[in-house]
Amino acid sequence: MNTLIDYDWTVMAPELTIVVMAAFLSVIDLFLHPNKDRRLFMWPTLIGIVGAMCFVGMSWGKPAYQILADTYRVDDFALAFKMIMLIGTAFITVMSYGAFRKEKGFAEGEYYYLLLTALLGGMVMASSGDLITLFVGLELLSISTYILVGIRKRSVMTNEAAWKNVVLGGVASGFILYGMSFLYGLTGSTNLFTVRDRLGEALTSGYDLYAWLALFLIVFGFGFKVAAAPFHMWVPDVYQGAPTPITAFLAAISKTAAIALILRMFLIGFIPLFQGGRGTVLDEKTGGRVLLILAGLSMIVGTVIALRQQDAKRLLSYSSIAQAGVILVPLASWGPFLFPSTLYYLTGYLFSTVGAFSVLMLIERESRDSHLSSFAGLSRRSPFTALAMTLFLLSLAGIPVTAGFFGKFYILANAVVTGSPEHWAMYLIAGIMLVTTVASYFYYFAIIRMMYFRASQVEEKLRIPVGAMIVISVAAVATLGLGLMPQLVVDILGNVDWGASLAPVK
Amino acid sequence: MALSLSGESIAFFVLSMMAIGGGIMMINSTRVVHMVLALAFSLLSIAGIYVLLHAEFLAVVQVLIYTGAISILMLFGIMLTKHKVDEEDGWSGRLGHSLLSFLGVGALFAIVMGVIYRTPFAGKVAATKSFTVEALGKSVFKQYVIPFELTSILLLVALVGAVILAKKEADS
Repeated sequence: MNTLIDYDWTVMAPELTIVVMAAFLSVIDLFLHPNKDRRLFMWPTLIGIVGAMCFVGMSWGKPAYQILADTYRVDDFALAFKMIMLIGTAFITVMSYGAFRKEKGFAEGEYYYLLLTALLGGMVMASSGDLITLFVGLELLSISTYILVGIRKRSVMTNEAAWKNVVLGGVASGFILYGMSFLYGLTGSTNLFTVRDRLGEALTSGYDLYAWLALFLIVFGFGFKVAAAPFHMWVPDVYQGAPTPITAFLAAISKTAAIALILRMFLIGFIPLFQGGRGTVLDEKTGGRVLLILAGLSMIVGTVIALRQQDAKRLLSYSSIAQAGVILVPLASWGPFLFPSTLYYLTGYLFSTVGAFSVLMLIERESRDSHLSSFAGLSRRSPFTALAMTLFLLSLAGIPVTAGFFGKFYILANAVVTGSPEHWAMYLIAGIMLVTTVASYFYYFAIIRMMYFRASQVEEKLRIPVGAMIVISVAAVATLGLGLMPQLVVDILGNVDWGASLAPVK
Repeated sequence: MALSLSGESIAFFVLSMMAIGGGIMMINSTRVVHMVLALAFSLLSIAGIYVLLHAEFLAVVQVLIYTGAISILMLFGIMLTKHKVDEEDGWSGRLGHSLLSFLGVGALFAIVMGVIYRTPFAGKVAATKSFTVEALGKSVFKQYVIPFELTSILLLVALVGAVILAKKEADS
């Protein structure tokens, strides 16, 4: 066995940068006078994230590398997910600049370094081939977000959100851990590749139900984490009660990390269950069907309930449940473009979601609530913001020349051309996706109608802080750019050898 | 599976009943102190089960950390905070809710037990002699050093969170 010094630890540079910056900020926070303004913490946070981005970009395209029996592995799959999470957190850092200025007793120093540790958890989840590291990463992300959700501790709604998040998030982690313990008990290893090999043997010797139990328990917990129906009950309350930048973090980055976790676990560890075909109680199609049900149900439930929402934040929460369903379609349908279509959609979804939530944050601060009517007359109060918001909503709805349109198209194409024997299921899920997309136009257009065709009670201009302005502009440009020139990203994603991410490092 | 009535199986039976009983007592009691004591009782019984499984180190750690440190910490927590004991009838949920939760938990229990009973476990006993503290230390500090270090960050985050959520503002 190699000793610690034999490994090339520089591959961990992105994570180490984030850790160092978080530690640095916590020490500075300790020595800074309590009454000092901690808004400027945004800069070190941003520098750390940008530094990590550079390291991620530098290792892109290199052969996969692993440290200490896959407890940490870096491959293009991990790097792509890390890049999405880093971009998302950078946006959230910038939009938080000055967002909490008026709040007394707000732990702004802690806010920034907890964002970094949450990001660290997500990055670890993306780049590990070992159950223990995956779980520790998941918990690091979860616990940091539990605190961030409840950080505005004087608001009753925030307290309710934090409480629900802790309890249900804890239950979900418990289910995932319980499933992992079955997997470990069956295979005697936490390494996903060893698990894969031994699970293949175990299936033929009568332990198949045991393995399925592990899979179902993990899907259960994962459903909570990714906010998919029927495990979505906590989502609207938590998203509504959390500070809006954190809501955006939950909707974009936590979801991305959970998808990374489940892709790794299903496509490496659980793969024998999807190949199967040995006449056991549950056949090899079951896993795919479970995911299809999860995806279909999320799209239907999210869309139907969103239609009746009068509160913009709740509306966007339900829409994020529906989006979770869409993101799950490639994994459920497999197909040739599983990785590129998932990653492309996540990228587009990131820009539109973060953009939409930052506009919502401005509206919320101005009118003290997030009711739909607060958007009335936004086109006159701030034409630029209204235009950007329209773009984000069109992208979330999947209307042409936005990132969301091409993302949905890519996923749809992937589902329809898949070589799965169950063509009817693929057409069914494609049908559900189309119908819910069309239905979603109603609620997305409700906001657009408010912005353009309703007169506002206040006529004064909307004040836009610099940070939010930058986030909204960059996100709008990216949403439009990805829609107009999708080949830019698709080419990068298409040239990657995704199979190498699912194989042990030689 | 014939249940041989050896001393070991009797001990296992008694200890598991104590562990489960402690859990039930914890859920049902209304006073926080009783809850902590029931929890400590349950955790101590689990330490006994570890001894039966020849995991002596784990058993000692269980007693030291869970039964000892965590229970004491909770008692201190109770002592140092205002704890108005709710003497009111704790059962205020709707009947439908408890019925639904009972059904859900019952279904989960039935499925897990069904799966366990249908699985043909090989009768081989693992060689527990090789699972020494030395081997444990080696795997924690060598192979699993990355998750180990991450755990320390995790604990730090939890500590920071506890402080900022619980502290009273000194502002004026």
